[in-house]
Amino acid sequence: MSWETVIGLEVHVQLGTASKLFCGCPTTFGSPPNQNVCPVCLGLPGALPVPNEGALRLATRAALALGCTVHRRSVFARKNYFYPDLPKGYQISQFDRPIATGGAVRCESPERGPISVPLTRLHVEEDAGKSIHDRFANATAIDLNRAGVPLAEIVTEPDLRSAGEARAYLTALKQILVYAGISECSMEQGSLRVDANISLRRPGAPLGTKTEVKNLNSFANVERAIEAEQARQQALLETGRAVEQVTLLFNVGTGAVKPMRSKEDSHDYRYFPDPDLPEVVLSDAWIAEEQAALPELPDAKRERFAAGYGLSAYDARVLAADRRTGDYFEAVVEAGADPKASANWVMGEMLGGVHTTGAGAVAAATLAALIAMVQRGEISHAAGKTILEAIAASGETPAGAAERLGLMQVRDDAALERWVEQVLAAAPKEVDRCRNGETKLIGFLVGQVMKLSRGTADPKAIGALIERKLG
Amino acid sequence: MSVTPADVARLAALAALEVADDQVPALAAQLDRIVSYVGQLAALGETGEPAADEPIPGAGFRADVVRHTPMAAGPADFAPQFTDGFFVVPRSKARADG
Amino acid sequence: MNPAAVAADTAERLDRAGSLNAALAWSPAALAAEARRVEALEPGGPLHAWPIAIKDNIVTTDLPTTCASKILEGYRSPFNATVIDRLRAAGGMVACKTNMDEFAMGGSTEHSAYGRVLHPLDGDRVPGGSSGGSAALVAAGVVPAALGSETGGSVRQPAAFCGIVGVKPSYGRVSRYGLVAFGSSLDCVSVFGRTVDHAARVLAAISGGDPADATAAAMPPLALDPPRADLRGLTFGLPVEYFPPDLHSGVRAGVDRAIGLVRELGGRVQEVSLPHTAYAVPTYYVLAPAEAAANLARFDGVRFGRRAGEDTDLTAMYRATRGQGFGPEVQRRILIGTYVLSAGYSDAYYGKAQAARARIRGDFSRVFASGIDALITPTTPTPAFKAGDKTADPVAMYLADVFVSAVSLAGLPALSLPVGRDSGLPIGAQLIAPAWQEARMLAIAAALEARLDPVAEVR
Ligand SMILES: [Mg+2]
Ligand SMILES: [Zn+2]
Repeated sequence: MSWETVIGLEVHVQLGTASKLFCGCPTTFGSPPNQNVCPVCLGLPGALPVPNEGALRLATRAALALGCTVHRRSVFARKNYFYPDLPKGYQISQFDRPIATGGAVRCESPERGPISVPLTRLHVEEDAGKSIHDRFANATAIDLNRAGVPLAEIVTEPDLRSAGEARAYLTALKQILVYAGISECSMEQGSLRVDANISLRRPGAPLGTKTEVKNLNSFANVERAIEAEQARQQALLETGRAVEQVTLLFNVGTGAVKPMRSKEDSHDYRYFPDPDLPEVVLSDAWIAEEQAALPELPDAKRERFAAGYGLSAYDARVLAADRRTGDYFEAVVEAGADPKASANWVMGEMLGGVHTTGAGAVAAATLAALIAMVQRGEISHAAGKTILEAIAASGETPAGAAERLGLMQVRDDAALERWVEQVLAAAPKEVDRCRNGETKLIGFLVGQVMKLSRGTADPKAIGALIERKLG
Repeated sequence: MSVTPADVARLAALAALEVADDQVPALAAQLDRIVSYVGQLAALGETGEPAADEPIPGAGFRADVVRHTPMAAGPADFAPQFTDGFFVVPRSKARADG
Repeated sequence: MNPAAVAADTAERLDRAGSLNAALAWSPAALAAEARRVEALEPGGPLHAWPIAIKDNIVTTDLPTTCASKILEGYRSPFNATVIDRLRAAGGMVACKTNMDEFAMGGSTEHSAYGRVLHPLDGDRVPGGSSGGSAALVAAGVVPAALGSETGGSVRQPAAFCGIVGVKPSYGRVSRYGLVAFGSSLDCVSVFGRTVDHAARVLAAISGGDPADATAAAMPPLALDPPRADLRGLTFGLPVEYFPPDLHSGVRAGVDRAIGLVRELGGRVQEVSLPHTAYAVPTYYVLAPAEAAANLARFDGVRFGRRAGEDTDLTAMYRATRGQGFGPEVQRRILIGTYVLSAGYSDAYYGKAQAARARIRGDFSRVFASGIDALITPTTPTPAFKAGDKTADPVAMYLADVFVSAVSLAGLPALSLPVGRDSGLPIGAQLIAPAWQEARMLAIAAALEARLDPVAEVR
């Protein structure tokens, strides 16, 4: 009989604020240790937290983007435990009254097709600092720059069934959060972290004992860790042993999971409302502002691109995957270019090489003009690519660059005549073979003319002229 | 007795307090006396919803602005051990990552 | 007097009062620096050149802040409490840091790691607590006013014991930024004054919203009422629960004297009931320790303060630091606070206490909504007791809070006014007002004060 894997994910995502959740220290990544600290985030005697409105706005926006119910009243609570990178001896989090509950994320399960992953809750909490164990012998170094950085914790129901689904969910979740401007979701910088709860059961049976794998630092490692833990639990269960409820750490090097805490370590967090912080009260108007600030999300954009512009499902997905690319594509279309041609140009040229923003950006209207020139037959597609690269560097207009580079399609019959004569004269053997019926060599001859014209000749006109001359 | 010596050990571990073994029985007795005293709250009837906290007038949020808080001294001055910019603590034997 | 002369005089007085063990940290040099600071200000500040003693749980950069605990021995805060900045802006001078019950946990100032404070009138007795050092210095005439802190009566009770004025404002009236937290939902920086006017002026100077404290009400500083000659048009409630048949007869006589005076001044007096009063002390001794257990978790030997057990492992370091750094009463309260929040007990204790707190608050709201302007009660069940009388039984000590805890739980303003003496020991009467009504409460107290001889025997 087979086993069913039951997975729930807890994602901690850094809310993209300038300052920390309860103090004015910057959230900058990569500062020297203990630079971005103050009495509040150091937990010094007498210091008090004051909530950052920006963090609550981003959390609200995230909740709205994920379809959660946003609660008008929520409560910050203290989660009590001792750890040296937790300055106050408690984490300010939310417990029984989170800012949001419910919601769902749609994604594509590799096994089950389209699924909707239900969310339990989204709450706001402060990050801890960093413990560094390999810096000093027999001692741990503590850096509190991250302490107090605002996080949203997003918890799914135990509705995922495979490592692949976990990855698909995370990919979709990240896309939404980046899209809505909530977080950069950079796993390298620790702004997105994943804990996975895993249990096994026989299909239809009640839930088994779950274990928690902590602090997974890439989507690939989430997959690997789930697979490793799935195998470990299966081996236990199939030899008649029980799964113990433990917290595990994933070893990136070996791919194995091992218990993180000794068993006697207690989990009694003694949550209670933080008396330093009044209840969080959000007005309807305040929530409406966040709803209004929410951009069109990937799902909706994908559907609109496919239906509105007649794009293929694949093209719509690629263009909607990133908000800036989608916006750029639409700007090109708005500037008058054909949607399908725009999609091809944006996907082919812009994603691959020339960027749509930053240094070397090509304005959407410029790309639209270039696409129009190709469609009118004024330049060849190949010349268009050359011109795009040129204008990205020089900032010229497409027509100007085409002129300067001599890439305008040549319609002058005398010039064509001259190039064709020149090529035919230089290739007497190929001309003979053509005359003897090897017509596919015409393509070769057209190519030679194109080369000579540096792409400015119209290949159709050349073909016709050669056929006439040989005929 | 509602607070036992075993409870004292459990609470002391949760609260990270070192309690000498020979103090445990006396401490358990004192805590038991206090817990029994506050236990009279059990007599409070269940009737009536507790009133919500009156909101504090005007207490609100802080704008998301970076503000440097000047400190008269830095961690190196007040930390028990501070080396190369880090707070330093003995390593944990109880945790795999510590 | 010019600031430098005041500084020198204060240093001399502190020196002479040394035997009280009321001041923990002070120096003539620090006082002289305070005087120079005042000299640099525009004159005319409401507290110009007032030397003010500061309870040692209010952080200061110039003097150590220990909370009378070994765990903070020698600790110097890198920032000043908001109230310190405000006192100085008003022209006040920090005179010294004062002894207290460790982390403000106690009612006698016997639970200090630096020795007990003596009652200025009788060295065998306690000055009350936890702000006993501040109270003793005002009572001994060293300073005209002092800052203390209240979590459950820690200013009103020592004010009553020492025969001075002690004022607790509404919760949120004064910033807590820089007050080392004990029970955050209860803690209030509070004021001692030689007279009502002294206390009122200091309270006005330190009050008002503070962007650094999310629980401080966004209100302008307290505007004091003009003095009033009588109490006509005011109705005073006497809560029956605060006048039990076995009330100490000297205390009863003192409060009766105040009630008689209220009538003489044209005030109406009527009995009222606050039916949940009996729950106040147990409620307080669940909520305050619960909050304290979390608030004191930051004293872990990692970032500041004293560390012990250095050469062990992390957990042993924590336990040694805290086990050796905190005194027995603090450890008891941390353990109780841990107990009442722990899995399986939280609903029965913490949850019940929150419900009781709401009822206690509701009692006061109902009474004030019925037309009562202020309540009059005893501040303490007895005059100052002897040192050692209540140290053996923690609950006996807690019961000394019976008349002050409910007000703290309800977040109301209240004060203790000296109304006379019984066998030479001061007696205090408590005035309790609706939230944010400090100005009228202080004006009422001043009107009574003007007609009372605080050193006259009450019977
Ligand atoms: Mg969390
Ligand atoms: Zn900070």
